[in-house]
Amino acid sequence: MLSFYTFILFFLSLSGLLHAKSSDGDSVLVVVEEAHKKDFTIFFDGLKEQGYDLTFRAPKDEKPVVVEHDVPAFSHIILFASESKNFAKDITPQSLVELLSGGTNLLIALSQKQTPLASLASEFSLILPPPGTPLVSFFPEREDPPSVIPIAAPASSLILSPGIAPVWFSGVAHALGNNPLLVPILNAPPESFAADSEGGADVLVDATEKGGEGLWAGSQLSVATGFQAVGGGRVTWVGGVDMFSDKFAKKEISKGVKSGNVEFGRDVAAWTFQESLVLRIDSTTHHLVNSTTPLEQYTTNDNIVYTAEISRFNPQTSTWQPYSGITDMQLEFTMLDPHIRTALPAVPGSPGKYSVTFRAPDRHGVFKFVINHKRKGWTHLHSSTTVAVVPPRHDGYPRFLSAAWPYYAGAISTSVGFFLFSAAWLAGESRESKKGKGGKAQ
Amino acid sequence: MPPKPAPATPVSTSAVQTLWRAYNDNTSDRLKFVDSFLVFLMLSGVIQFAYCVLVTTFPYNAFLSGFSSTVGQFVLTASLRSQVNPENKNEFKDVSPERAFADFALGSIVLHFFVFNFLG
Repeated sequence: MLSFYTFILFFLSLSGLLHAKSSDGDSVLVVVEEAHKKDFTIFFDGLKEQGYDLTFRAPKDEKPVVVEHDVPAFSHIILFASESKNFAKDITPQSLVELLSGGTNLLIALSQKQTPLASLASEFSLILPPPGTPLVSFFPEREDPPSVIPIAAPASSLILSPGIAPVWFSGVAHALGNNPLLVPILNAPPESFAADSEGGADVLVDATEKGGEGLWAGSQLSVATGFQAVGGGRVTWVGGVDMFSDKFAKKEISKGVKSGNVEFGRDVAAWTFQESLVLRIDSTTHHLVNSTTPLEQYTTNDNIVYTAEISRFNPQTSTWQPYSGITDMQLEFTMLDPHIRTALPAVPGSPGKYSVTFRAPDRHGVFKFVINHKRKGWTHLHSSTTVAVVPPRHDGYPRFLSAAWPYYAGAISTSVGFFLFSAAWLAGESRESKKGKGGKAQ
Repeated sequence: MPPKPAPATPVSTSAVQTLWRAYNDNTSDRLKFVDSFLVFLMLSGVIQFAYCVLVTTFPYNAFLSGFSSTVGQFVLTASLRSQVNPENKNEFKDVSPERAFADFALGSIVLHFFVFNFLG
């Protein structure tokens, strides 16, 4: 009995271990200098606890390889070797971009040094300040050096959990280009600016003389930014690897208030490794009103019902659950252009189901039902179903229209008139022939 | 015998009246019967065309078939009239009145077949 109890306990603890897995796979490659590996134990242990399978590798190690037999060997890659200028030959900006477009997720830390990763960042519309200029701030007043900054999380954020404490940051900030795939996660404080560590306030004086030109400052700068590739892969750029370090995790914001770095690391990893804000379209169907079978072709002006089932990944149970929370989804019925673009609302009472009824346009051709839902932070939803819309069959048109009765009457009266005329003509002919005979007889 | 007073008296005699009287006097009953059918067809066509212009063309196929049935029937009947008219005997030496009527009847039946197919 006791052994059975421990058996149950063992499974419970196992399920606890497995409680938060990614929707994308659990294997993680961590590229970190051997010497710095022990600086991030809290972050790495947190990932292991969640059920991730971490493999460590120094930047110049050849093994384990990132891509084996043309197949990515890992679902996620963490690049914490932010100061390395040289990587093994299978970690290049090109190979990372290729992995990302293949669906591998990347968590990349930047540093103030000019490295291959810094030049890769500009390919993602991240604009980095000149090398050697970390973010500094003299506010709030504190004992730490100006380059170690507490940053308060934004009031409402999709990615960071609500109520997260301010996080310590030390590193480089970046400006964001206007790439729509960028997802800002954490912005720099408004008082902060980029300066070399000794320069301090001199930079501000210089910049004031130049009218603010060349100054990297303010809350438009970002210290942690996500990027969701078109293929669904996610990459997060963090301005300083220290955000994940044990030192900052344990460092108190003020007396007795723990910093939010541990939660921050967990939230950022959860988003990057496709645990949170992950959606998918399970199925889409379409049929006529008062019918259930999908047709390959519809007639112009038919009333069509389109239904989509959408699920969201739940990292707590590692399952996909029906999700009705999308309020701004649209359905397009397109032939080159959208002929119809209508809201696709959730059906109350049936979770995960979105449905709309609309009338097909009075236009025949090859149409597509298109869902194209792209929101910052969320997985992009895209679905396209092709159907033909045909004109009515020859017997599909309405008949005996009241407006046409004069024409019907005209045609019928002509026929009746012809019939009567012929009858009278023939009758007259026979009479005439009699008369004609009579005439001859006379 | 002195000439009749009718042409001399200008009282109420217009060209139209003369024409009408001449028509009444010189046309056989048979042709008058054909002409009355032609008038009926013309009126029917005019009514349909007016309806189409003033009210609706909507079932356009119905208008086309209704209107073309009157026009077609008019053409066929007019042909019949010219072929059976004794004054045109020299023109249609080979066409007897019976033959003309048979042509007319066959043509009309074919016409009505198409009309009712297209009426919708």
